[in-house]
Amino acid sequence: MSTEPVTDEDAERKKTRYHFDRHTPEYREQFADVTAEMLDKCPVAWSDTYGGHWVAAGHSEVFELARSAEYVSNDHDPQHERRGYKGISIPTPDVGFRGGFLEMDPPEQRYYRQLLNPYLSPAAVARWTPLVDELVRASLNEKIESGRIDFVDDLANIVPAVLTMGMLGMPLKNWDIYVEPIHASVYTSPNSPDIARIQASRLAMRDDMMGQLAGIRANPRPGLIHALATAEINGTVPPDFELLGIIALLMGGGFDTTTALTARSLEWLSEHPDQRERLSAERDTLLNPATEEFLRFFTPAPGDGRTIAADCEIAGQQFKEGERLWLSWAMSNRDPEVFPNPNEVDLARTGNRHHSFGLGLHRCIGSNVARMVFKRMVVAVLDRMPDYACDPAGAEHYQTIGVIQGMKHLPASFTPGTRIGDGLEETIARMQVVVDEQGLAEPVTDRKGAADIK
Amino acid sequence: MKVHVDPERCQGHTLCAMIAPDLFTLDDVDGHSSAIDGEVPAGLEAKADEAIRSCPEQAISIIP
Repeated sequence: MSTEPVTDEDAERKKTRYHFDRHTPEYREQFADVTAEMLDKCPVAWSDTYGGHWVAAGHSEVFELARSAEYVSNDHDPQHERRGYKGISIPTPDVGFRGGFLEMDPPEQRYYRQLLNPYLSPAAVARWTPLVDELVRASLNEKIESGRIDFVDDLANIVPAVLTMGMLGMPLKNWDIYVEPIHASVYTSPNSPDIARIQASRLAMRDDMMGQLAGIRANPRPGLIHALATAEINGTVPPDFELLGIIALLMGGGFDTTTALTARSLEWLSEHPDQRERLSAERDTLLNPATEEFLRFFTPAPGDGRTIAADCEIAGQQFKEGERLWLSWAMSNRDPEVFPNPNEVDLARTGNRHHSFGLGLHRCIGSNVARMVFKRMVVAVLDRMPDYACDPAGAEHYQTIGVIQGMKHLPASFTPGTRIGDGLEETIARMQVVVDEQGLAEPVTDRKGAADIK
Repeated sequence: MKVHVDPERCQGHTLCAMIAPDLFTLDDVDGHSSAIDGEVPAGLEAKADEAIRSCPEQAISIIP
């Protein structure tokens, strides 16, 4: 695709231009200014970056575009079997396979969603809450007596990963095969000296994933992988590489996003101790709106790419088939037309129709998991480390926010407390027995009650 | 007044049931919402309004 307009008509369509590069450190530093400028002057603009693409920043523009599935495609077609579309990442990573149903269009996408929804609906997710509480308790136990914790390494990286293992039907203790490669590959640049080590950990992860898929096929064990391993999609059995793409999507969605939300929120609460006390005291009414506000303000996954599937006019802009489009959930979440004082955190905000889980038929399938795990982690920290103070010198944000707006490290100190019950390794072993004996990873259509923890 | 969830627009964001659990029920299997039958009980009108304003898909409306 040319970056310059080729015809007068093309030039006219692309006359609203903005140089948009979300992968630079400058974008992270200037996010509020860039966002305010785009929302004010060009809620939809053409950017010459990454081969040229549209950028939608305005709330109503993003809303309309994200819900126009007949004109706006998620398809990723690296083998050129259809129209060669490039999926949801800009620029397109050189991987050669698509990223699960997030890079598919209906009806294929719908078959997978219908297959997996019974494992991830609010009722399905609520069954796991007692188990999550155990994992949170045990993770905090490891640090509670020392008065020091890294909220990323010691809590927010662990609990979502162990839970995701359980929902997939994988051994809980395998979480640490996956957590490092998924977390580190989001923030490590390809020219980092650390990249060889991370690539080696990615290979170990892929080996384990293929082994789990084969193992669950041979010796059925309930969970998301079992659903995929036994699926017929529109009458055919999907090839393994497709299923591995879906498992990778579920892990990538389940791990680093909730980690990012938790770290950013705990950092903010440390900087605003009066708001932290208020949240703790009024949690019965405030925890839900505060969670939505943190989702809005920190938008862990800042946006999604799309491809225009047919010439169309949407939100007052003419698009041509084949053009690329970036839907910025993060910028649309700061639109003053919808959110008064958009750059302030208001824990009691109402009418908070943020876009942090996307919109339309690709709404994040793990949104119910994310909310539940986030709330259980935050409440436990408020209860057991109520005076924690994050160390600004040790807090390390991702250098860029193009993929995930996360943190590498968030060390904090607090008044030491006492352990409650056993440690993490013993708890994970006990929870494995609960998952296995109670069939917790079955779909909610087959098993309804919450985990019973003795 | 009554509230209505458009099943073609609802995508299961669940904010309505979070805000007004007495007015909206989430499906066990896919989490999509449906409104209670009949009139919104007295005292819950403000919650109904807040649910409407909070729906990311703008799927909820009032039936007079």
